[in-house]
Amino acid sequence: MDLSTIDSLLATAPGQIAGAADLETLDQLESVLVGRRSPIAELRKGLGQADPQDRPRLGQALKAAAETINEQLDARRVVLESAAEEALLESDRVDVTLPAATPARGTHHLITQTMEEVTDIFRSLGYQIESGPEIEIAYYNFDALNTPLTHPSRFQSDTMYVESFDAEARTGGDELLLRTQTSPMQARYMEANPPPVHIVVPGRVFRTDTWDATHSPVFHQIEGLAVDTDITFGDLKGTLAHFALEFFGPSAKTRFMPNFFPFTEPSAEMHVWFNDGWLELLGCGMVDPNVFDAVGYNSEEVTGFAFGMGVERLAMVKHGIQDIRHLFENDLRILGQFR
Amino acid sequence: MKVPLTWLDEFIDLPTRDPEQIESALAQLGHEVDEIARLDATFEGVVVGRVEEVGPHPNADRIRFCRVNDGSAVHDVVCGAWNFEAGAIVAYARVGSRLGLDTDNPFELTAKELRGVTSNGMIASAAELALGEDQEGILVLNELGLATDQDLGRDLEDLLPYPDLVFDITITPNRGDCMSVLGLARELAAFWNIAVREPKVDLKTSGKPIGFSVEVQDREACPRFAAREVAEITVGASPLWMQMRLTAAGQRPISNVVDVSNYVMLEIGHPIHTFDAQTIEGEQLVIRRAKEGERLKTLDGQDRELDPADIVVCGQEEVLALAGVMGGESTEVSGSTNRVLIEAAHWDPPSILLTSHRLGLRSEASSRFERGVDPNLPDLATARAAELIAGAGGGSVKPGAVDVYSKPIKPRIVKLNATQVSRLLGPEPDLGDSADYLRRLGFGIEKVADDLLLVSVPTRRPDVTRPADVVEEIARMHGFDSFADRLRRGNNGALKPEQLGARRLAAVMVGAGFCEAQTLSFIGQSDLDRLRLPDSDHRRIGITVNNPLREEEGTMRTTLIPGLLKALVTNVGRSTNNVALFETGSVFFRAPDRDDPRIPDQPNMLGFAAIGAMGSAGINGSARPVDIYTATGIADLISGSFGLAIEIIQDQTPMLHPGRGAGIHLDNGVRIGFVGELHPAIARDLGLAERVIVGEFETAPLLASRDDWSIVEVSEFPSAVFDLAFVVAESVSAGSLVATVEESAGREIEAVEVFDEFRGPSLGEGKKSLAVRIDLRALDRTLTDEELVPIRGTIVEAVAEQLGGILRGTQ
Repeated sequence: MDLSTIDSLLATAPGQIAGAADLETLDQLESVLVGRRSPIAELRKGLGQADPQDRPRLGQALKAAAETINEQLDARRVVLESAAEEALLESDRVDVTLPAATPARGTHHLITQTMEEVTDIFRSLGYQIESGPEIEIAYYNFDALNTPLTHPSRFQSDTMYVESFDAEARTGGDELLLRTQTSPMQARYMEANPPPVHIVVPGRVFRTDTWDATHSPVFHQIEGLAVDTDITFGDLKGTLAHFALEFFGPSAKTRFMPNFFPFTEPSAEMHVWFNDGWLELLGCGMVDPNVFDAVGYNSEEVTGFAFGMGVERLAMVKHGIQDIRHLFENDLRILGQFR
Repeated sequence: MKVPLTWLDEFIDLPTRDPEQIESALAQLGHEVDEIARLDATFEGVVVGRVEEVGPHPNADRIRFCRVNDGSAVHDVVCGAWNFEAGAIVAYARVGSRLGLDTDNPFELTAKELRGVTSNGMIASAAELALGEDQEGILVLNELGLATDQDLGRDLEDLLPYPDLVFDITITPNRGDCMSVLGLARELAAFWNIAVREPKVDLKTSGKPIGFSVEVQDREACPRFAAREVAEITVGASPLWMQMRLTAAGQRPISNVVDVSNYVMLEIGHPIHTFDAQTIEGEQLVIRRAKEGERLKTLDGQDRELDPADIVVCGQEEVLALAGVMGGESTEVSGSTNRVLIEAAHWDPPSILLTSHRLGLRSEASSRFERGVDPNLPDLATARAAELIAGAGGGSVKPGAVDVYSKPIKPRIVKLNATQVSRLLGPEPDLGDSADYLRRLGFGIEKVADDLLLVSVPTRRPDVTRPADVVEEIARMHGFDSFADRLRRGNNGALKPEQLGARRLAAVMVGAGFCEAQTLSFIGQSDLDRLRLPDSDHRRIGITVNNPLREEEGTMRTTLIPGLLKALVTNVGRSTNNVALFETGSVFFRAPDRDDPRIPDQPNMLGFAAIGAMGSAGINGSARPVDIYTATGIADLISGSFGLAIEIIQDQTPMLHPGRGAGIHLDNGVRIGFVGELHPAIARDLGLAERVIVGEFETAPLLASRDDWSIVEVSEFPSAVFDLAFVVAESVSAGSLVATVEESAGREIEAVEVFDEFRGPSLGEGKKSLAVRIDLRALDRTLTDEELVPIRGTIVEAVAEQLGGILRGTQ
C-alpha cells in the first residue's frame, strides 16, 4: 500500500481548507478530503488486503491523517460559522434612532400630584386624609366656622349658591352653596368624632372669581386640623415649618405674621422663603373657641390649630407656572409636562 | 392704606427711619407692607421768591414780564401764567436749577430770550415741580399756605415733606382702627414702647351757636351722631401741604372741604360727611331706616332705590344721605357753598356693609364703618375737621355742637387668667409680660390676683371681646416667630381602602396612557342638549347655580363627559390629534345624599375620552386609532385591576353610537357605567372628525371591591389547547359564546378567546362564524385525549342548545 497519496494530501489539505471562503465550500472540501469517497476512505477500504503485519501501522497512519484533517476542518468551520453569524447580524442592523413603538404615556395631573405630595407629608406625621361634599350647606361653610350672616365672604360676590334640589325653601345656614373652602370638613369631622383630631382634607373649592392669571372660580385646597388637650401655637408653627421643609426642600425658611380669619384666633399667615423671596403661602391659626362650641367640643378643655393652603398656588410656586389657566385648560402640551 | 412716614412723625418719634425695620415691625404686628414708595423733590435749586413787579411784555400779549426777588437779588423773568400779581410768593427756578429729575429727560434752566426779552429762570407751576397736576397757573406759595415773605431765598425743598417714604399696607378686616395714620402710629408706638402724641384740637369759635337739631329715631342703627357747623367759608383749593399728604396717601385733592374730610379720615380714622348747610331746610335732621319705595340721588348722579335695611340721614321730608355710604346730590358741597355741616356718626357696621354691598358702593368711608370705628371718636373728628376747614376755607366755627349719644359706649372688660394664655401660647410670655404688652397697646390692666387680669379694651378695638382675642394681642406683641416650634404628630396616617383604591384607579388609567384632566364642575344646559340625552335621563336636569359667572357655566355637572369633550376639542383645535384624557370627580344630582339628606347626592365618577391613536406604532407599524374595542378594553383593564367581575352588555346608551356602545354591569346585574364610541353626530357637532371614545363609571363599586383576596395556585402541567369554530346567528354575541364555553367546559378551563369572526355566502344569510381557542389545564395532572373528547363534546352540545350554534364544517 502506498501512503504517498496521504502524504501529499496532508501537505495540500491545510492550504485548501484555509482557502475555503464559506461553509458550503468547506462542506464540499470535507467530503473530498475525508468523505466516503476520499482517498483516505478508499485506502481504508483496501486495508484488508494489506500485509497483516503492516495493517496496524497503516491503519494508524490513516486514522491520524483523518484526524489531522478533521481538526483543520473543524477549526476552519468555527471561523466560518462565526463570520457567517456576524454577517447575518450585520445584515439585520437598523438605525435605532428611527421612531420607536412607544406606548402612550399618561400623566397624573399636577393638582393631584401636589395634593398627594402634601397629604403624604402629613400622613407621615400621622394625619388622616378626609374628604367632604362640594355642595355644602352654609352652616358648615360659614356658621359653624364663626362666620356671621353679615360677613362679606357670604355675599354672592364671593360665594356661589345653588338652588335647592328638593322642594324646601332654604335660608341662612340651610342655604346650599359651593363650598368656598375645605374648612367645612373641620366642623363635620368634629361633630362626628371626639378629640383628639389629626386630619388633612384635600378637595375642590369654588369662589365667584373671574379668570385671570392667579384666579379661577374652581380651585383646590388642603385643610388641616389638629385638636387635643395640649396643643399650643408652637405646635402650629413647628408642624407647618416641618411641612415647608419637606415640600420645598431643606433651604426653606418660614415666618409667621398675624392675619385675620373668622375661625381662628390667633390667626396667622405663613410665609416661605423660596427662590429668593418671601411668599405668602397659607393661612392658619388656633381654632376659635366659637368653632369648638359649635361642634360640641369643650373649648375650656381642648385647643387646636387649623390651616388651609391653596394647591394651585403651591404647584405654581414650585414649578414656575405663571398662569393658573394652564392647570385647567387640559392642553396635552402642558399635561405632558407633568411627571 | 398708604401711610407717609412724615405723617406718622406727627404722632410718634420713630427710633428708626430704615424702611426695612419699619416694614418688619409692621409685619410682626400683622400689617403687611405691599410696597414702599420713596418720595423726593424732582428739582434742585428752586427757591422761594417774591414777585416785585409784574407788567406787560413789550412784544407779546399772552406772556408777562416780571421781576422776582430771590432774597439776594432781583431777576427779570418772563411768565405765561396769569394767576398772580405783584407781591405773590412763588417758586422761582433760577438759571442753573434743574427740573424733571424723576423723568428720563431732566433739564437745566438757562437764561433764555423770549420775544426779545431775556428770562433769567422761570416761575414754576405745580406740574413743573411734580407737586400737582395744575399746569395753567404757577404755584402761589402764600395762597397755598406754604411760604411767606420770611421764607424768601429758602430752598423750596426744605419747605416740603422730602424725602419721604410711603408704606402701602394691607389692613386685615378686623382692624378698622388701623385704617388711619394715628392707628398705625399707635401700633408702632406699642412695638417700640414709645409715646404717642394724642391729637388735640383747640377750637376757636365765633358767631351764633349752631342751630341744627338732630333726632335719632333708630338708636341701634346710629348709636351716636355728632356734627359741627362752619360758616362763611370759601370753597377753593386746600393748602399745598394737605394736598401733598393726600396725594401721598393715594387721595386726589379736590377742594378744601372735601380734602379736609378725607384728611381727617386718613389721619384719625373717622369718616366725615359734609353737607352744604344751607340746603338743609329747617336745620333739622332725622336718622332712621329708609322707607319702602324711598329714593335718593347720590353724589355720583345715580338715582337709587333704597331698601328698608338702609340707614338714612333725612331732612324734614326727604332723604339727604345714605348713612356711612354716600351723600346725596341735593346737599352736596359746591363751589358756592359758604356754610357746611360736618357730620361724624357711629353707624351699625353690619347695616353699612349690607347697604354698600347691595349698591356696589364700596368707599373709603364704608370700608372703615364695616370694620368698626371707635364710637368715642366723633367729637374729636368734627372738631378736627372744623378746625381744618376754617383754616383752609377762611370760615368761622360756630360755637356748640350736635352730639346725640344717649348710651356712651365704654371700654369692655375681659377677664384673663394665666391658663388662658398658656394653653394657647405655651409657657411664654408669662402674665407679667403679657400685661406689659397689653398696656403698650393702650389696654387698661388691673391685676386682681396673681394669675388673673382685668383687661379694659379700648373702644377703638371692637374686635377684641374674649380672652382668645386678648391672647392674640399678646402673641403678636411677643412676635409669632418668637414662639418655639414643636412638631405635632397624630397616630393614624394610613390610607383608607377607598383612598388606596382611588390612587390605584388613577394609576391604572395613567399606565394605560391616559392623561389626567381637571375640568370645571360647571356645565351649561346646551352641553346636555348636545349629548342628546332623553328627557327621562337623570342627567338631563342638573342643579343650577344661582349666581354663575357665565350663563354657559350655570349648571352643576351631572356627567364628566362634556368637560372631557371640551378638552378634546381644545387639543384638536391646537393640532394635537391624539388625545386620551380621564378625570375623577364629583357629579351632582337632584336627589338627597344617602348619608346626609340636607345636601344633594354627589357621587364620584371616573370618566374618559380619547381620539386618534394611543401611543405611536414606530417606523414599521401603523398606530391603530381608538374605537369601541379600545373602550371595552379600558373596562376590562379597570375591572381586572380591581378583581371585579363585570359584564359588557351591548345596549343603546344615550350619547353613544347606536351600534358601538355598551353598559358595564356588575355580576349582580347593576349597571355601573358605560363605554363606547361617541355618537358620530355629536362628534360632528363638536367638529371632531375621527372616532371618539368615551366612558364613565361610578367609582364607589370599584373602590369597594378591593376586599382581602387570597392567591390561587397555578398548574405546573402543560395546557391542552384546541380550537372550535361555530356557525351562529348574527344576533349571537361573541361574549355570550365565550360565556357558554366557559360555563360548559368544566373546572379545568383556563382561558377562552374568540380569535376569528367570519361571514360569507357559504355560511348562509344572517349567519356568521366565530372561532374560539379553548385552553384547558388541570392542577394535578396532564389532561389526556380521553379526557378532552367528552369536554369538547359537552361544549359543542351546550353551544348548540343555548345559542343554536353548529360546529363549522358539520352544518
